[in-house]
Amino acid sequence: MVIGVAAATFLLLHAIPGDPARQVLGLHASAAAIAALRHRWGLDSSLASQFGRYIGDVVTLKLGDSYVYGLPVTTIIAQRIGETAGLVAIATVIAVAITLPLAAIAASHRDRAADHAVRGVSVIGLGMPSFWLGIVLIEVFAVHLRLLPVGGSGSGLLGHLEALLLPSLTAALAIVPLLVRSLRVGMLDVLGADFVAAERANGLGELRVLVWHVARNALIPTLTLLGLNIAFLIGSTVIVENVFALNGLGSLLVSSISSRDFPMVQAITLVLAVSVVAINLATDLAAARLDPRIRLR
Amino acid sequence: MSIEPDHRLTRRRLLRQGALGSAFLAAGPLLGSAPARAAVARPSAAITKGGTLKFARSVAPTQLDPANSIIAGDVYTLDKIFEPLFITSPAGELTPWLAESYTQSSDHLTWTFNLRPGVKFSDGTALSASDVVFSLKREAANVDGPLGFLDSAIKSVKASGTSRVVITLAEPWAPFLSDISVFANAIIPANFGGRSEKAFFAKPVGTGPFVLDSFTPDSNLALLPNPHYWQPGKPYLGGVQFNYVADDNQRVLQIQSGAADIIDSVPPANVAALKGVSGITVELFPAWEVDLLVFNEALPYFADRHVRRAITHAINREALVAATSFGTAKPGGSFFPPSLQYYDPNTPVLNYSLSSAKAELAQSKYPHGFATKLLISGGVEKWSEFAQIIQQSLAPLNIKVTIESLDHAAFESTFQAYNYDMFIDYAINDISDPDEMASFEVDYKGSGVKSYWSSYNNPAAISLVHQAQKEFDSAKRADLYAQIQTIVAGDAPYVPLDYPPYIYATGAKVHGFAVNPGGAYRLENVWLS
Repeated sequence: MVIGVAAATFLLLHAIPGDPARQVLGLHASAAAIAALRHRWGLDSSLASQFGRYIGDVVTLKLGDSYVYGLPVTTIIAQRIGETAGLVAIATVIAVAITLPLAAIAASHRDRAADHAVRGVSVIGLGMPSFWLGIVLIEVFAVHLRLLPVGGSGSGLLGHLEALLLPSLTAALAIVPLLVRSLRVGMLDVLGADFVAAERANGLGELRVLVWHVARNALIPTLTLLGLNIAFLIGSTVIVENVFALNGLGSLLVSSISSRDFPMVQAITLVLAVSVVAINLATDLAAARLDPRIRLR
Repeated sequence: MSIEPDHRLTRRRLLRQGALGSAFLAAGPLLGSAPARAAVARPSAAITKGGTLKFARSVAPTQLDPANSIIAGDVYTLDKIFEPLFITSPAGELTPWLAESYTQSSDHLTWTFNLRPGVKFSDGTALSASDVVFSLKREAANVDGPLGFLDSAIKSVKASGTSRVVITLAEPWAPFLSDISVFANAIIPANFGGRSEKAFFAKPVGTGPFVLDSFTPDSNLALLPNPHYWQPGKPYLGGVQFNYVADDNQRVLQIQSGAADIIDSVPPANVAALKGVSGITVELFPAWEVDLLVFNEALPYFADRHVRRAITHAINREALVAATSFGTAKPGGSFFPPSLQYYDPNTPVLNYSLSSAKAELAQSKYPHGFATKLLISGGVEKWSEFAQIIQQSLAPLNIKVTIESLDHAAFESTFQAYNYDMFIDYAINDISDPDEMASFEVDYKGSGVKSYWSSYNNPAAISLVHQAQKEFDSAKRADLYAQIQTIVAGDAPYVPLDYPPYIYATGAKVHGFAVNPGGAYRLENVWLS
């Protein structure tokens, strides 16, 4: 799959018009200067041979130097990956922290006011684009209440965490509606199961039944969905980082595409693709741990 | 005119963003009479020193070698570290800088520059003529560099003692002092101070008010004061932090919340609201910039002068500016912006008149109209608004316009391959002399790009451009450029749509900030209260 992503990225980048040499050299650049730079980057050889060389480089993990910065792409990515990883991690925690109580309330109050409220808010949430939600959150928490920074990366560990709070919340809110709905349905299924009735009959408290037995069983499909949505979260960092001026991989990807910095775009896409695969693997393993019926063979 | 991309902004990009539909404040007919833009002035007591200026910019530096620079993020960062022999003041005037004075021979071929005494590089070594010789020879040899063409008149550069530099030109070249003042001709230590080129630019040494502290690609760059700076007591700031903030909204929010002390490229739509925020000052600085609708004369429709004139008459530039720039830009007339030296306010511009437009079209080979395409750079609201207004303006002539919007890099490759019908982009002048704009937009061969990719080729106008390059009498040059502006206005190879300004917002603490019409801002005079 990773090689597939690499190939698709390469082909798409080369299919769109726009010359990286022209972007670096500017409007006054002579044809000779542009040709010389293209030669240095190997862009004057045939697409097939460039592709062959690129796939070879990917397999041997030679990711090259950025056209724009002249530095190894790995160096630049290493400076930025922490920001994006932090954003995704905190967003995941926030998403789960919001999802669990909301789903539990909805499921335990099925078809009553609380359930309708949770489901209604979810539908509204689903329709709110991150770039807009981000601005609203900045207006409220940063500009008016002045509780949090409007953007940027902050300094020091505490400053960093503070700066990631609003962007993480923005990213999390984009996936919460799906997670709530999934977990609610899962919980309703489990609530109707015989063993729940048996536990209630045994005199177990409703809260204990809900949290310990129902949630645990309902969590498995939600976990898989969470894995898929973390992939979505990683994708949404492209927008969220831009709105909050965070210097992560998402904003770097956007600027690298604009400047046609091929090695940079290809490397970032690879890193993101590998992360998505790794996270899906991790959630599958976690699901296997939660449910003895799922076992790796 | 320089160049650029989307986030990897070149200067042109900066301009475009800064100017998303903007304007010109006070226009003087000639540079000399253009009112100097006062630096942001607030009633204040004595200057206080220290403090770090937090500057949120829409552009990011990528590297600091003047010879490789053209994008705004690079240019407006390295000019705080390196300085040329002359600079352009905020009023647009050439000002002696590392050179204290100069003389030229009567044949205009030999120029002698006397260096300012007491100038030191940031490592404490004194500036010497050998440093100037090394720097100018390096740039003059850099013919494939982004601005190498500006030094093409230079034949030789020699030191005369340690404080005098003699430059010989191959031919009389009136724009020479302007060319020498461009950032690409900034002075660096001879032989990179004994280091490798790469090591030097990673930790550069210059005569400028600031030195590099730290640099994270595509993110931020920090400067510290140069302890050896030649202007006593300056810079006032204790440091500068440039943060790359690509998103327009985010920059506006940063100035509102105090996270930034200065932001660039304020969207025109936000100007009025920001002006109402106490403690925030919005400043519009005139720019050597004009937005153009360019016709491809290689196509039969646009080879017809009547068609181009008809379209020019059909576009109401006053209304276009009113509808898009929120009062910040000035409607277009001459292809020279009013801030540029030798701009002629009396240029006979083809004014908006639908009846004149119809009359012109009736005289063309296409009296019943035709279908054509208009290429724009996508994602910039101003261009799409311009395109829609032009589309509607040409409908009464039965010219059916299809708008084609491409991402910036693709847009540039497309028009630069002459693969377009009409396109909209902005043109800027990098130097204080109008020769660059005149050559680039009128000199079919000399521009290297067929007159701004328009294929406009008028031998009479080209001959005037060449005469102006060799004319040293400013009254005669003014007359030559007035004639060029008149010819171009009549031929209408492109429609000057508007003159946008640079728009900056500064917080209450900031004093002494000013931008020159080339877009450069020097920070040694800035202080924080």
